[in-house]
Amino acid sequence: MNLDYSTIMPFMPAFIDGAWMTVKLSILSLAIGLLLGIAGGLCKVSESKLMRNIAFVYTWIFRGTPLLVQLFILYFGLPQLGIRLEPFEAGILGLALNTGAYCTELVRSGIQAIDKGQMEAARSLGMSKSIGMIRIIGPQASKIMIPPLVNQFITTIKNSSMVSLITIAELFRTGETIITTTFRSFEVYTIIGVIYLVINSLLMAVAHRLEKGLSAHDRV
Amino acid sequence: MIEFKGVDKFFGRNHILKGVHLSIKNNEKVVIIGPSGSGKSTVLRCINRLEKIESGDILFNGQSILKQKQSQLSTEIGMVFQRFHLFPHLTVIQNVMEAPLWVKKMKKEQARELAVSLLEKVGMGDKLNSYPSQLSGGQQQRVAIARSLAMHPKLMLFDEPTSALDPELVGEVLQVIKQLAAEGMSMALVTHEMGFAREVADRIIFMDKGQIIETGTPDDLLSNPKEERTRLFLSRILH
Ligand SMILES: Nc1ncnc2c1ncn2[C@@H]1O[C@H](COP(=O)(O)OP(=O)(O)OP(=O)(O)O)[C@@H](O)[C@H]1O
Ligand SMILES: [Mg+2]
Repeated sequence: MNLDYSTIMPFMPAFIDGAWMTVKLSILSLAIGLLLGIAGGLCKVSESKLMRNIAFVYTWIFRGTPLLVQLFILYFGLPQLGIRLEPFEAGILGLALNTGAYCTELVRSGIQAIDKGQMEAARSLGMSKSIGMIRIIGPQASKIMIPPLVNQFITTIKNSSMVSLITIAELFRTGETIITTTFRSFEVYTIIGVIYLVINSLLMAVAHRLEKGLSAHDRV
Repeated sequence: MIEFKGVDKFFGRNHILKGVHLSIKNNEKVVIIGPSGSGKSTVLRCINRLEKIESGDILFNGQSILKQKQSQLSTEIGMVFQRFHLFPHLTVIQNVMEAPLWVKKMKKEQARELAVSLLEKVGMGDKLNSYPSQLSGGQQQRVAIARSLAMHPKLMLFDEPTSALDPELVGEVLQVIKQLAAEGMSMALVTHEMGFAREVADRIIFMDKGQIIETGTPDDLLSNPKEERTRLFLSRILH
């Protein structure tokens, strides 16, 4: 065996920079993706056929094509149409649109899982559809949506490594660069793996807290 | 107070209400009976616009409900459902305060005071901070009635309010409804509790297959039905 983590210790600041970039990418694209997902999910359950169709086309395209292709179109393809995005912009946009498409389906099924009687009770008390959605359906749906959303978020964080291919120096690409000077593949990739694991564990811990807070009414 | 003028309702191709005419006067208590699937719930749901009607008109105090805003209508018409539909993420008192706060934009203290007094009235004053999942069915239905009363409706609709309850819990809910009736609330009730119907109803309506077959005072309709179909239905449920 010939493992030597000490040779890569001097690169720790670089790892931390890369991890920080991954965290930034993830937080921004998850936040935008979640907003897109909520908007998309509401469109999917809307009474307007136009809205439903827009949401359908969106999820159809972004769930039906590889993230890598989406990122390459945004970064390498769009300039041909005169739209030039910075790598970071293209990366955020791609990850957010992709995450949003999956979140749309999760939000839709979360809303549809709530008994129809809840909205009927709200309506019969004089609440508008939007107040009913915000005050009655939303809180109940978000509770059941948390576990699948967390799954999706974890997937997005892992998928963020793909933006290394559109030249963003996030965690994975940073590691690759370090390997080219140290030739320590095993050490570098394991460290990268551990960092992803730490980021995702933090996310799971936060989600666990949130879920517990929201299920106050479940204790009997 | 309520008047149906030749109301037709379809679900897809199924003709569910067939030219229904009916009226409910101020302070009147009308009980609707009839076999399963005859359209009783649909009549109630049309009154507070949970269902759209295909033709005819429904007047509320002389004005067509089709032209009124849901929020306006619902402050005047309360509905109690067979399966309660309390909001499970809110406590008992929050359930009752929700509509006054968000529809009437009432101040919090005022809404709380109103909710406490209504919950005391239905005998739930000691469960203010419980969640619906911690209550029995009878208790949940009493909270649902208080929730509805918080909007000060002029007319209450009850759709089989005791059908989902264990037999020993039926009485406490009927008691609350009887008290409301005695206070002069106008009501439309769907129920299979014939003893209760006889006691509170000013008028009983018998429906079958989307039509009103017969209507009369409890004594007339229950003891002396004119129509064969009514007789058949009564003989079946009174056994
Ligand atoms: N949302 C719906 N979509 C399609 N058909 C419906 C819908 N709601 C009710 N129906 C049909 O309309 C008819 C009348 O239903 P309704 O619920 O008014 O009957 P009901 O008299 O209340 O019966 P029950 O005593 O079983 O409650 C039934 O045949 C039912 O299958
Ligand atoms: Mg019914």
